[in-house]
Amino acid sequence: MPLSALSTIALTHVSQTFRHLEHQVQLFQKLSLSIEQGQSYAITGPSGSGKSSLLMLMAGLEQPTTGQVAYLQQGRSLPLTQLRQDIGFIFQQFHLLPELTALHNVALPLKLRGEQGAEAKAKAWLEKVGLGHRLNHKPQQLSGGEQQRVAIARALVFQPKFIFADEPTGNLDSKSAVDVADLLFACCQQNGAALVMVTHSPQLAARAQQVFAFNNGNCALLEKAQLEVQSVC
Amino acid sequence: MSANHPIRNSLQLAWHFYQQQKHHSSQRVLRWVQGILLVFIVTLSQTSASIQAYLSHNLANLLGADLVLSQPLALSASQQAELAAMSQQIVLSQSLTTTLTHNGQWQRATLKAVAEDYPLQGELRTATSQGGQDSVSTQGPAVGEIWLDSRLLAALGLRIGESLSIGSHRLQVSRILLHEPDRLMEGHNVEMRALLHRQDLQQFRATDDIIQHRYLFAANTSQIATILQWQKAHLPAAQVHHKHGAHPLALFWQRTENFIGLASILLFFMAAIAMQQLTRAQLQQQQFFSAVCLSLGAAKKTVLRISMLQWLFGLLWLLPQVLAISALCHWLLLQWLQAQAFVQPGVAGSFANLAWQPDIVLAVKTIVASASIFFVLNFPLWLALWQCSVRQLIQQQQRSISNAVLFGCATLVLAGVAAHYSDNGLLTTMLLGSMLASIALLLVLSWLALSLGEKLSQPFSGLLPFALYMMKQRLISKTTQILGIGLAAFLLLFTLMLLKDLGDNMAAHQRTHDGNVLVSQASSAQMADIQLWAAQHAITLRQHKPFMYAQLTHINGGQLADVMQKPSDSLATLSRPVRLHWSEALPGNNRLVSGQWWHSADTNWQQLSVEQEVMTDLGLQLGDRLGLVIAEQYVEFSIAATHAYQSGAGAITFWLQMPPGALLHIEAPQYNMASLELQPEQFSLLSQLWQQHPSLRMVSLQELTQRFDSSLAMVTQLISGFAGLIILLAGVVMVSSVHAVETKEQKKNSIILSFGLSKRTCLQLNIIEWLVTGTIAACGAIVATWLAGFLIYQSQFSLPYHPDIGWLLGTLTVILSLVTGLGVVLSKNSLSGSVRQLLAE
Repeated sequence: MPLSALSTIALTHVSQTFRHLEHQVQLFQKLSLSIEQGQSYAITGPSGSGKSSLLMLMAGLEQPTTGQVAYLQQGRSLPLTQLRQDIGFIFQQFHLLPELTALHNVALPLKLRGEQGAEAKAKAWLEKVGLGHRLNHKPQQLSGGEQQRVAIARALVFQPKFIFADEPTGNLDSKSAVDVADLLFACCQQNGAALVMVTHSPQLAARAQQVFAFNNGNCALLEKAQLEVQSVC
Repeated sequence: MSANHPIRNSLQLAWHFYQQQKHHSSQRVLRWVQGILLVFIVTLSQTSASIQAYLSHNLANLLGADLVLSQPLALSASQQAELAAMSQQIVLSQSLTTTLTHNGQWQRATLKAVAEDYPLQGELRTATSQGGQDSVSTQGPAVGEIWLDSRLLAALGLRIGESLSIGSHRLQVSRILLHEPDRLMEGHNVEMRALLHRQDLQQFRATDDIIQHRYLFAANTSQIATILQWQKAHLPAAQVHHKHGAHPLALFWQRTENFIGLASILLFFMAAIAMQQLTRAQLQQQQFFSAVCLSLGAAKKTVLRISMLQWLFGLLWLLPQVLAISALCHWLLLQWLQAQAFVQPGVAGSFANLAWQPDIVLAVKTIVASASIFFVLNFPLWLALWQCSVRQLIQQQQRSISNAVLFGCATLVLAGVAAHYSDNGLLTTMLLGSMLASIALLLVLSWLALSLGEKLSQPFSGLLPFALYMMKQRLISKTTQILGIGLAAFLLLFTLMLLKDLGDNMAAHQRTHDGNVLVSQASSAQMADIQLWAAQHAITLRQHKPFMYAQLTHINGGQLADVMQKPSDSLATLSRPVRLHWSEALPGNNRLVSGQWWHSADTNWQQLSVEQEVMTDLGLQLGDRLGLVIAEQYVEFSIAATHAYQSGAGAITFWLQMPPGALLHIEAPQYNMASLELQPEQFSLLSQLWQQHPSLRMVSLQELTQRFDSSLAMVTQLISGFAGLIILLAGVVMVSSVHAVETKEQKKNSIILSFGLSKRTCLQLNIIEWLVTGTIAACGAIVATWLAGFLIYQSQFSLPYHPDIGWLLGTLTVILSLVTGLGVVLSKNSLSGSVRQLLAE
């Protein structure tokens, strides 16, 4: 894909605050960063530091208190409603629909979009994540690792440009965590999708091309190659 | 938790949690369900108790005597002498139903003839002008005078002082009749009334047997007992009422209460659905609480006790409101019954003086019984709590409630309610059968529609196939939802549409098949004159059937009152003389259900064919012996056949039929029933016939439909009130069913949002789901209504049922819009899901 065709999410001077028991709580302020399609990012930091809020802002699902979120494609700014159609999520708790089989869970986003051949595509994706033999199993019949694979297939099946993953390996044993992480990175790369992960795992964060670290209300971009910290605030 | 005061601690904890959860939506819905049912049951029992109390008071005050004996024939001189020896005084009143004519207008009325010794007890009240001063008369009208009630006076266009011709005799209208002290015995009678002297009645030339003879006795308690013994032995067919006995309407009202109680099974069924849904909604929270308590070392029974106490607090909190609303409903119902007493004195049994007097003990008993029902319906939740363990906190898995337990508890409750209110096998079977049939129909329809819809739409993508797929996956909860809405819609449709159609169709059908004038009783001489008159004026005589009156007194040798304890329609009718028909062959409008119809050569004349419904109501079987008193002659018959009505050959049919050979052995007055078809201009000719035969019992279709319409109007009002409750419960069922899946729905919507789809998609999906739910429920309700209509028409009237298609489609649209609108509003919380919620979990 030519670089000019790639999409970008640009956050400019965004701040996020909320009120709690008459107090104003500031999560982060004047944060500027951009998410490029095809790249991988990790967001780390202690609980309550604002990682999930940043994820929501990046996905265009919440408005910042101040600052701007822009969705850029070929240099043009597109409305955020367009961004919402180009994103997929992966959750720590997998959040598969318990009534549906693995195949139907994966086919779900395609069916809702009215796409033809939804089940064939879903089957292909399940085979890609190594669950070709578990098509008709319901979530409760699958292990945690398998459920997360189904969730990865479901998030990627409609070919979103950005994947947002919240602690994707947080609920898995170490072996499964490594397998799922491998799969996640590989699939996003093959699909040309950006991967933005919130994680507490240094190992997983280390696999991302860029890491945003939250600490005491500050956010820093860790440039892994140079092993130096650049402030993005 | 201190071990010294476990109960007090449990109470404190339960109170604390009750206070915390009081405002949770599932607790609110639960209160609504329990509240509606409690209000219904308490109001029903209180109203019924008021009516029964009124009736027993009424019996003591409105009998006009200590004991009343009535029968068609006059007592013989020896019988009268024997009875006079057993009592202090006897007063005779004779009554006759006739048609009075004046200036070309006619009106059916009951004439009562009395002598100077009337009234025996109580007040005879009259007035000298319409709306004039009410005064007490010490005796009845003098010879040559007649007192009319104000309705009769107006119907005939008469004024006080004018003369009224009866046959060739003229009587002067001297007063307006306001109240007779012995009216109780005629409580069901809607006829207008007139009082005259006994000597004047003889001018009617009426045969003695069409006159009802009523003997009013002044007697003390021991004399009453002696007379009752004597009556059993000597006049078993006579009707007797005394101050210490049951009111003639008591059984009727007991039956009304039972009928409404049985119909309330539907309410309990809907409540069971709602509570089952709420149980599912509460389960997770309650199990989590229990598991935490267990992990802190609490015993299972402590946890269970807290949950039960919490439920009890909820119930107790409801009581003041329930009692206040029930008292108000009770008062309103009594007001309504009193209003009906003025509109339709016969139907409501003249409840003008019904007093509002709440019965606290009864209310407590009713509430305890209802609380037991709620306890059983809540039992599955407690069972699930009992089975809960700390493991749940580790594995994050909730233990679901077994469908078998839920079903078992609901069945237990419904069976209990049915058993309590059932007084008649046939009615219970019909009511429960029709409810079960509609439930089965809705279940099958839901399953078929969702399964087929899902199967057929599987190859396609889009919102509709997805909605169908999800509904199919949640088949049980969706079906429950559909069942609740469908049943409510069914009952409403059944109430409104069927009653409307019934009125229209009945009138139209009678006009086509049975003529527009029905002769319900004509002696042989009267019938001969009718035939002559009809031939003279080219009037068609459609049917003509002979009969005689017979009073059922014994079944298999036992007295009727001893053998039959439970009230039924058949028994109520059979407590008075009924028409006994004879026919060589099976009548064209009857079909043989069981047994064998007699042959012409058959020498056994003591056999009967009994109508099927009577057989079921009285629990009779082929071969049973029925003892009938026919014109004071006791005859025993054995049941040889059972027949049922079928359409196509007129509507005149009889419950009891015997071989014509029996006429050789029974000496009794014979009468005829007939139907005539008159042209509109020929109606004025009827007055000729009545002038000639005032005692002829003849009624026009217009009068019949008027009577039918007024009864229908009352029933419709009553059922509409009931339908209001059903609507309320249907709303609660919808709310509870939304609650039951709210968490799941919210999650589903959040997941859909995480695919990059908008909230609009979620709303569209929600609308589709409610539309499908509403469509299945409405179709089920319409089909069930149609089936019920078809079956009722076929079995009860043998008529084809033609529902109004426009009405049906209109109803479908209304149900769909209401269900979808309400459903979407109720699903507001489910639609408020977000990706952030998924991240937060």
